[in-house]
Amino acid sequence: MDPSEVEFLAEKELVKIIPNFSLDKIYLIGGDLGPFNPGLPVDVPLWLALNFKQRQKCRIIPADWMDVEKLEEIRELEKREEAFTPVPSPYYMELTKLLLNHASDNIPKADEIRTLVKDIWDTRIAKLRLSADSFISQQEAHAKLDNLTLMEINTIREFLLDSLNCMYKLRSNLQPGSSGRTFTDF
Amino acid sequence: MSHQRLPVRTECAFPRLGFLDRSSDSEDLPEGTKMELPLWLSKSLYERKRRVLSVKLPNVYREGWRTVFTADPNVVNLHKMGPYYYGLGSQMLHFDSPENTDIAQTLLQTFIGRFRRVMDCSQNAYNEDTSTLLERLDCLEKALFQAGQSGLNGFQSWEKGRASQLTASSLVLNYRKRKMADVED
Repeated sequence: MDPSEVEFLAEKELVKIIPNFSLDKIYLIGGDLGPFNPGLPVDVPLWLALNFKQRQKCRIIPADWMDVEKLEEIRELEKREEAFTPVPSPYYMELTKLLLNHASDNIPKADEIRTLVKDIWDTRIAKLRLSADSFISQQEAHAKLDNLTLMEINTIREFLLDSLNCMYKLRSNLQPGSSGRTFTDF
Repeated sequence: MSHQRLPVRTECAFPRLGFLDRSSDSEDLPEGTKMELPLWLSKSLYERKRRVLSVKLPNVYREGWRTVFTADPNVVNLHKMGPYYYGLGSQMLHFDSPENTDIAQTLLQTFIGRFRRVMDCSQNAYNEDTSTLLERLDCLEKALFQAGQSGLNGFQSWEKGRASQLTASSLVLNYRKRKMADVED
């Protein structure tokens, strides 16, 4: 899976905007988007919010979790815990990147937020690599990982699956009666 | 990979096949000749019952090297040991050596031991020259390294915003065909 595909899936998340135009309710295949009145907040999917913002038709309101103190708490929690902590949003990385690139004027302290989210990402990826390493070295059959986001899984997916395939082939060497098999795709 | 040569000893005579062994002058190969045959040939000729060939294990899979691998798999230069260490090792199990289980176990443990190093190198070396890291890896590990690098590069280019930018294909740039704008001048 491409990171762009993950970003596409992330764009379905709802964000709050304040439009500066008025429009009646629109009926799309994915659902209805409520009537737009200037100055009144309304929930729309992220793709629409970014489109309006680029045409200067709205102001985006940051989500609750996109706040310096909250993110600092999450970062400290992540550093203390060994397991993965629940994330503020299943697409926190993509939301941060998109909103900070297009709407940084609506978000207070954008640079600090960017740094904090990057720290949280680095901590989680390091934990992911550690658990992948212990998974392989102890030759476990399955592992349970809660609270992982799609983007994190996506960066390690190809590598981990290929390694597990190789390990499986090497392990099946140990089984008796399998020496007749050919391993031509090594 | 199957072009790798293995030292074999013939158990029966091969009439009129003397040309296979470069060092002998005779027209046919007597029983007990020691020579090197490629893997694909050895594998097809090997049969437990008819005793056509017996294959000698290459040094890398023998007792001496096996202890080195169990001690610390990370220091070994697997590229020098035969670039297809894991692949050839798995094929050698086909030849029914008494040390088969030990060989299979060593292969697995070496892989597990080196996994951490391969993962760290591939996931952290962004936009750097990786040739020093790669030279000690065998072909299987190189393929894994490429997979890790592609995951990392994909994520980094997405984060920079380069993923959605259109760039001219290198084929078009190198083709140097006259562009329409130049022709119209």
